[in-house]
Amino acid sequence: MVISPVHYIAVPLLAAFTIPLLSKYIHKELARIVPGIVLLYSVFVSIVLMMQVSEVGVISEKIAGWSAPWGINLVFSPFSGFLASLMSVVGFLIWLYSYNFKKIEQEQSQKYHILQMMMVTGAIGIVLTGDIFNLFVFMEITAITAYSLTSFYRERDGAEAGFKYLLIGSFASVMILLAVMILYTQLGTLNMAEIAQKSHLMPTSIKATVLVLFLIGFGIEAEMFPLNGWAPDAYSQAPGPIGAAFAGIVVKAGVYALIRVIFTLFDIHGAYDFLIYGGLITMIIAETAAVAQTNLKRMLAYSSIGQMGFVLIAFGIGTKTAIVGALFLMFNHAVIKSLLFMSGSYLTYNSVSKKISALAGLGKKLPIVSILFGLGAFAIVGLPPFSGFWSKLYVLTAAADQNMLLLIMAILAVSVIEIIYYFRVVSTLYYGKQEEEIEVQKPSINAMVSMLVLGATIIVVGVYPDIVTNFFDSAADMLLDKASYIQAVLTQNIN
Amino acid sequence: MQDFEQYNSIITTGVYGSAIALILIGLYAVLIKKHLIKIVIGLSIIDAGVHLLFVAIGYIKGGTAPIFSPGNEDAAQQMVDPVPQALVLTAIVIGFAVTAVALSLVIRLYKHHNTARIDQIKSLKW
Amino acid sequence: MKKVLVLVLLVIVGYFLTDTFNLIPFGENRIGNPQDEETVAGYYLNNTAEKTSVANTVTAIVVNYRGFDTLGEVTVLFLATTGLGSILFRRKEDEEEIERINKPSSSLMQTGSRVLFPLIALLGIYVFIHGHLTPGGGFQGGAIIATGFLLMLISYKNFKAGHTMLNWVESIAGITFVTIGLWGLLTGGTFLENTLPAGELNNLISGGVIPIIYIAVGFKVAAELTGVLDILLNIKPKK
Repeated sequence: MVISPVHYIAVPLLAAFTIPLLSKYIHKELARIVPGIVLLYSVFVSIVLMMQVSEVGVISEKIAGWSAPWGINLVFSPFSGFLASLMSVVGFLIWLYSYNFKKIEQEQSQKYHILQMMMVTGAIGIVLTGDIFNLFVFMEITAITAYSLTSFYRERDGAEAGFKYLLIGSFASVMILLAVMILYTQLGTLNMAEIAQKSHLMPTSIKATVLVLFLIGFGIEAEMFPLNGWAPDAYSQAPGPIGAAFAGIVVKAGVYALIRVIFTLFDIHGAYDFLIYGGLITMIIAETAAVAQTNLKRMLAYSSIGQMGFVLIAFGIGTKTAIVGALFLMFNHAVIKSLLFMSGSYLTYNSVSKKISALAGLGKKLPIVSILFGLGAFAIVGLPPFSGFWSKLYVLTAAADQNMLLLIMAILAVSVIEIIYYFRVVSTLYYGKQEEEIEVQKPSINAMVSMLVLGATIIVVGVYPDIVTNFFDSAADMLLDKASYIQAVLTQNIN
Repeated sequence: MQDFEQYNSIITTGVYGSAIALILIGLYAVLIKKHLIKIVIGLSIIDAGVHLLFVAIGYIKGGTAPIFSPGNEDAAQQMVDPVPQALVLTAIVIGFAVTAVALSLVIRLYKHHNTARIDQIKSLKW
Repeated sequence: MKKVLVLVLLVIVGYFLTDTFNLIPFGENRIGNPQDEETVAGYYLNNTAEKTSVANTVTAIVVNYRGFDTLGEVTVLFLATTGLGSILFRRKEDEEEIERINKPSSSLMQTGSRVLFPLIALLGIYVFIHGHLTPGGGFQGGAIIATGFLLMLISYKNFKAGHTMLNWVESIAGITFVTIGLWGLLTGGTFLENTLPAGELNNLISGGVIPIIYIAVGFKVAAELTGVLDILLNIKPKK
């Protein structure tokens, strides 16, 4: 059997349906182990497909034997494949981290692992699909698992954060459904390559309407201002590893959908400026809000929103250097933010308030975790020689090439703000005086391994950025070249 | 067929208008009402309006159901668009699933705070 | 004040929607000439009868052409049930005698629902078995069966829709669906390909794997909807 993109989706689904039976009648531990095996298989599939795609270019697989546009197809291109691989690796590391997370009670852990596995699968589905209604369905899969996981703990305000997320997320779904509807009446097809091909046939007013609806819908998922009100609550109330999953996986899928609509489906030039302004406003407001936060996870959430704003700016600049920078930023953000959430979760484990002041002096009690958190903080503000430095450099270079001086100044100003609030946390870790006597929870071996893997990635990529930038070059080329996407999907159609 | 032309705008207004009216009523409920269950009902009404709109755009004048029953096998010319119907089928089920999760969250909130009114459950900053 | 703002917003949204949909004439023939096959719908209408031997085009679209969407949707239902279970989870200490909150219903209702329930279940099973021949299919049939269960749940205080059986039905149906898909992959084709012979139009046994998938979907939807109703109706209020 040939390894193809559908394995990313079919194998986790089979596992999800089988786990309730397995865990009840064979062994209870299977509920926690099987998702890990499945996610590891996804990583394996990623490696195989990435090697294939570097030779072939784009892998387009048809489902149910009907070629696009009459059937649905999955597209593994350098851009979407890179995101899918990133998500599967981060997803696996999050499983590893939360395998025996003590805060999750034994009976609940089966549901937790199924939901977490399906959230990763749903996000991978969003980036791999070539059909716009299928994208909607996978978005709903991701959303439902996200709502349930946000409200997982009983003791916190999870239900309220989850309900708010649900209301705003449903609104996003309605917007997207309306957009798909109007698009279908004009073009008669749901396949993204065909929409890209035929989009010039739509009258401009309707095209504008559809674009606005898509921007609102996907902007909510990508946490653009002013549509991101749900995010800080959801990130802070969810269990720690799930916060990492939101930041590292779910929001990337939202950004991918937004970019796909703007770059491939519509290609309207005003949209690029919109990305720059929208991203800039998001970044400034979110990072400023982050300074005012006293709760560690809320601070990380606002920082995440700001980073996504930065990514949108990079995509908006639109030159090849900028897109390479954007992809690099997405990669770094997934790795670094997950590490920050994972280590932050252990740092605030036993504190009720989760405030930054509660971290005082933990640098001595939890040395490795603190070092990892510090590493993440340095990397994300862009200090060399860590990976974050290179991605910021790419974007700033691209902005300089376009003579966008104000933009450069804004980005640098925001970087200073980031340095302020991250270093505040790090200094509290090492130099603060402890107010409450908190008992620390040492992380288990598997959690430590996940965090160390992420930390090592930051260092390795920082020292040898070429490992990834060569790849991003071809991905950026692909993204900018709409015609090659259309051609690859509509004519290639290999099994 | 001239009678149909005359009433066409009324039918159009009627169908599109009622679907849009449903969406607006649902939106009103979600934004104004304070009781959580009423908010969830509003969400459900918005879904109903959107689905109605979706099926409506698939209609073709004088068309019939897209089923090739015996004796009707060559009637492809006179059938309505089957694709919106298939898509709405999926969308309805998804809407149901989201409503179920929403209601379970409402139950959790009620048990925790002993009230189901959103103005009394505001521990998180908006 | 807030009400006024919201009403203004509603007027704007309503105007925006009406304006857009005025540009989309109702009843206009957007498929064009189905012989042209320019739109996806034209292709479906023209080729379903020959290629898949399924009379109901909507079924063919839902299960075959866009079967991946259906798989996603079935997953959404499954995840909703799982999410429901995790959100409303009760620890063993809080476990109380499960008692419904409602008053016992009248004897008319109790007798009537006992008579109607098997008929409703039969109708539901008929609808999803014949999904490829007549209007209806897995989702519709499953919803009908779940309505029958709801009737029983409302009428009788002690009616329990056996959770073990529901879980088994749900899992087996889901596994069937994905296995049929993987079977297509294993026999050298694509995922969810129609690997069985298509047969003749308008026969009960026609359409290859389509009726089988739809029957599995019907059972799964019935089991899941009933499970959701059962969980939601069995919440004991806080003392």
